[in-house]
Amino acid sequence: MTVNFKRYGAVAAMAVAGTMLLTSCAANEGTSAAGSSDAPASDLAGDISASGASSQQAAQEAWVAEFQGANPDVTINYDPTGSGTGRENFIAGSSAFIGSDRAYKTDEIAEATFGACAPDSGIVELPLYISPIAVIFNLEGIDTLNLDAATIANIFNGTITNWNDPAIAASNEGVELPDLAISPVHRQDDSGTTENFTAYLNEAAPEAWTNEPDGVWPLEGGEAAQGTSGVVDAVKGGQGTIGYADASRAGDLGTVAVQVADGSFVEFSPEAAAAVVDASGYEEGRTEGDLAIALDRAGAEAGTYPVVLVSYLIACEQYEDANTAEVVKAYLSYIASEEGQQAAADNAGSAPISDTLRTDVEAALELIS
Amino acid sequence: MSVAATPVENALTSGRLPKLAPWGILVASWVAAAVVFGLLAAAGSTDFSLVAAIFWGTLLYVAAIFVVSLLIEGDRKARDRFVTALVVLAFVVALLPLISLVSTVLANGLARFDLQYFTYSMRNVVGAGGGASHAITGTLLMTIAATVISVPIGLMTSIYLVEYGRGHLARAITFLVDVMTGIPSIVAGLFAYAVFELVFGPGIRLGIGGAIALSVLMIPVVVRSSEELLRLVPNELREASYALGVPKWATIVKVVLPTSVAGLTTGVMLAIARVIGETAPLLIIAGFTQSLNTNLFDGRMQSLPVFVYQSYANPGTDAQAYIDRAWAGALTLILIVMILNLVARLVARFFAPKLGR
Repeated sequence: MTVNFKRYGAVAAMAVAGTMLLTSCAANEGTSAAGSSDAPASDLAGDISASGASSQQAAQEAWVAEFQGANPDVTINYDPTGSGTGRENFIAGSSAFIGSDRAYKTDEIAEATFGACAPDSGIVELPLYISPIAVIFNLEGIDTLNLDAATIANIFNGTITNWNDPAIAASNEGVELPDLAISPVHRQDDSGTTENFTAYLNEAAPEAWTNEPDGVWPLEGGEAAQGTSGVVDAVKGGQGTIGYADASRAGDLGTVAVQVADGSFVEFSPEAAAAVVDASGYEEGRTEGDLAIALDRAGAEAGTYPVVLVSYLIACEQYEDANTAEVVKAYLSYIASEEGQQAAADNAGSAPISDTLRTDVEAALELIS
Repeated sequence: MSVAATPVENALTSGRLPKLAPWGILVASWVAAAVVFGLLAAAGSTDFSLVAAIFWGTLLYVAAIFVVSLLIEGDRKARDRFVTALVVLAFVVALLPLISLVSTVLANGLARFDLQYFTYSMRNVVGAGGGASHAITGTLLMTIAATVISVPIGLMTSIYLVEYGRGHLARAITFLVDVMTGIPSIVAGLFAYAVFELVFGPGIRLGIGGAIALSVLMIPVVVRSSEELLRLVPNELREASYALGVPKWATIVKVVLPTSVAGLTTGVMLAIARVIGETAPLLIIAGFTQSLNTNLFDGRMQSLPVFVYQSYANPGTDAQAYIDRAWAGALTLILIVMILNLVARLVARFFAPKLGR
């Protein structure tokens, strides 16, 4: 038995060691990745941990990949914990910067001391991830429908229950609407997409949608699905289903063109989404680096798409650690640059920010030290 | 001439199906059902479903074997065949979830089950490509660390319970171990997080924290299974050992443990299989990273379940690439558990004392 133990023990140990050896090196790590053109080698270094909105995850992947490619000694870990947890982490000081689907409220800023920052430091909030939210549906043979905010609200709150309802037919002349029950799908989890979608319904159709904007779906009934993927799958899997999801995930599902203030109908597009952010001003009573957008969802003009998710990157004005400040500043500058915005558009389907907004963001970035 | 045409009169003189006939009929029924479903799928009305084909094929087998046996062997034998076929049906129904699961994971997971998957991490990878070497390494390291922590604790607890424990303390331990078995995995994760947060401050993410969360889940499983196995060791062996003047500790180490080593290994492997697929605790305490990290004591560590979850939950525009990676991750996880079980079988076979020789 002792012999057995030695013999087979050795074999087992070799097997384990072999597996470890095989997996303990990642072929793509340790060398500076391709794509970092002939730019001078960067001297930035450090590990930065960040967390926050899961909506930014795909964009952050692209940004981190490009940024780490250009600065091989930097590691940025973006943990998609959700916006709420991200904001708590930033206050607790465990994340050097965060992604959040909403800016901090002014009273939150007044009360909180941000653990990640130097004492008495302000914060910068940059709207660098703008993504249209598509209202998606699954009806055979129909690719697009024109709907106004009140009709969308009534569909989602269960007042309109059939696709051949006169309210839907009124704005869709010539479309053959089936006699089919509508089954609305909503997010089961707390999400920035839900918050922005309900905010749109609440502002653009206050009579039909009386619930306050909230990250948690406020109504009973309807089908609940987990995450964006869950909503898209549920809409795809049913007949007569309707839901809302990040526009990049709409795929070949039918999408709704929403009515804006002047009565025209606008299909979602990155440009139209960026345009609505430009058309809205900043919130008042904020510091210089705090670019919280006061989205004007109800008064959106022609050519602007009002159902958008504006997600922020939030960082400190002064960091305790100079190196952290340098890396965060460089990273955020990259995100704000045209290449950075294009990388996010390619991998996450977001809307690149306009040059006007970029100028303001760059001014705000100068505050970081 | 007329002998062959004589009607069957009793079971003993009646005809008999060849030994392989039931198998032949079973396979034929499966093929028939597969053909029917294949034609349906070809006609475009449904997707081909392996599970449905096997289920209806087996049902067809129950009917077919009864009829065939009734014609050739008479009704007495036919009833016997019928009930046997029902047992087969029950067995197949019990296996259906497994068949369905394995076939689905294989069909979806093989798309990315390539060399790159095992040699690349996700660092600097956008969209398609990349791999899970960081997640596989993390899962193996954290599981090994959890095993190293829980097996000694669990084994010694059960030795105490079986060999030494009497009275209130032993009963209290048994009760608490039972309670621990029911701890939801997320609570174990929060426990580990709370412990490390006290020491290292908020937002701490460590691979070893994941290992500790997993060992909280693992210890009760190890205790319960090894306790049962140690109790199975015949008392005569212990008494014989005592009679030769061997002290108690030596009896446990040299007699009790070797006798039950096969079962103990199986128990440990089952405990590993129980925790290796845990997502929630690792999400909290081991964190999420795209890069390879081989140091349990420094920084975030990716694991396969978290990798699968994140790939599915937050894909980019090229969603299919993320979903493919998630399926390949699920397949890898199943394979790891399967290999561990095979190793456990081998250990059990080779280490078990040769009784009766």
